[in-house]
Amino acid sequence: MFAVEMNNVNLYIGDKRILKDITVKIPYNSVFVVMGSSGSGKTTLLKLINRLVDFIDGVRVLGDIRVLGFNLLDHDPYELRKNIGMVFQEPNPFPHLTIYENVAIAARINGVAKKREELEEVVKWALEKAMLWDEVKNRLQDYPHQLSGGQRQRLCLARALAMKPKLLLLDEPTANIDPVNARKLEEAIVSLKDEVTIVMVTHLPHQAARVADYVAVLFEGKVVEHGSAQKVFLHPSTEIAKKLLRGEI
Amino acid sequence: MYSWRRLREKIFIYIISIVSLLALLPIAHLIITVFLNGFNVLLEAGAGFLFKNPPVPLSREIGGIGPSLTGSFLLTVISLPVTVILGLFAAILTTEFPRNPFSLLVDTIAKSLASIPTIAVSMVVFTLVVLPMKRFSALAGATALVIVALPYTYSYFSTMLLSIPSTYREAGFSLAMSRWGVVARILIPIAKRNLMVGVLMTLARIMGETAALLFTCGRLRTGLPSSLMGPVDAIPLLIFDYILSPFEIWRRVAWGAALILLLVYMLIFFAVKFFVKEVRL
Repeated sequence: MFAVEMNNVNLYIGDKRILKDITVKIPYNSVFVVMGSSGSGKTTLLKLINRLVDFIDGVRVLGDIRVLGFNLLDHDPYELRKNIGMVFQEPNPFPHLTIYENVAIAARINGVAKKREELEEVVKWALEKAMLWDEVKNRLQDYPHQLSGGQRQRLCLARALAMKPKLLLLDEPTANIDPVNARKLEEAIVSLKDEVTIVMVTHLPHQAARVADYVAVLFEGKVVEHGSAQKVFLHPSTEIAKKLLRGEI
Repeated sequence: MYSWRRLREKIFIYIISIVSLLALLPIAHLIITVFLNGFNVLLEAGAGFLFKNPPVPLSREIGGIGPSLTGSFLLTVISLPVTVILGLFAAILTTEFPRNPFSLLVDTIAKSLASIPTIAVSMVVFTLVVLPMKRFSALAGATALVIVALPYTYSYFSTMLLSIPSTYREAGFSLAMSRWGVVARILIPIAKRNLMVGVLMTLARIMGETAALLFTCGRLRTGLPSSLMGPVDAIPLLIFDYILSPFEIWRRVAWGAALILLLVYMLIFFAVKFFVKEVRL
């Protein structure tokens, strides 16, 4: 059984084919990293998994996709998203909510916790998992703009975790934060894989090498290399993958 | 080279400051003139200005604007919520479903309404509401005010919703929120300050509109309105009629009424500024 299975998936926006014949299998409780240069379709692939692509005008998806055992294209997207958390490239905590409320809203909406005590427990758990609890435990009523960029991104991770998702999507989560916060986020990601399957997009080979169990290399909408991290990093079979890993494209 | 760049920047700042001051001058002039002319009237009339009937032309007593104030209040109470609710929902519809044919229709109608002269709106409402009812009424006045204010309110709210970065929408959807959930829990709370400014702008538009009321609400200037189906007066109508009259006492009442209108607006403006905090993104 796989958390995500895609067979011959093609995604079009208008007439343009963005994803081409994608076939990947993502095992449960692993960190699956999608690498590729800018514009290769990494984010689109990620947003296909939780069907955020539905909000793009003129999008059309063909192929067979199973996510957490459900047929993605037939399943109610709102129900599906209850099991899938996502952290975006740009930190986007809700600015009108406090740190506590930012995490609590995810748990409350998805029925993870209803009573106040349960909610407090989930918030603490999520902030600990995101390695943010020690830094914010005495300022839970502060607003996100009072946090640093890296802390805001870890708050977004905590928000996603508070849903108790089975699948976690991370879209270049360290792209806009400093190295210290990036390292903390990576540590959090690795520590989470026993509880949740993680699909992460990055264009940084070193980061991928540190966190990945499996890797797919995307180039112009196509998967050009796909397999265990060890295999892809040590014995890449295609010239494009070799160039990407050397940072040449 | 460096000093030339600094000089150029200074010149630019001076020009911007002077142009800004020039833009503010007419507003400052307007406020000062209203205060200078209206303040003495309020001082002479006292609190009775808010309750009493307007004076007869040759009267020595300044009287008040009680019926007009009540009428304006009544018209605002009817038309403000209707305009704000319709404008907000139309803005949500057209920003969340921009390609929906109904959204396109709503957007086109709203933009067309904005370009119709308000006096024409008054005539249309006169034909469609006043003539069948065989009387001027608060209802007809409020209908005209809604038609006049709605395009501005809609346009302001849709700009406000579109200005919120889409990343918050996506974050909401990724938490399994429905579209309505994202609007109600995320977008509107983020924009609450701007929302209140939009309500205030609508209020200003409704309270200050004259032409739309010319043929619709009537001019009840003795006693208080008894029903929504009966005629009412409004402060802008009273100002319009009295400021053009040959009677000194009426012109003075008009200045006093203008100051009351300005004070009410400023009071609400500062209350919104003070009580509704801006959300920092």
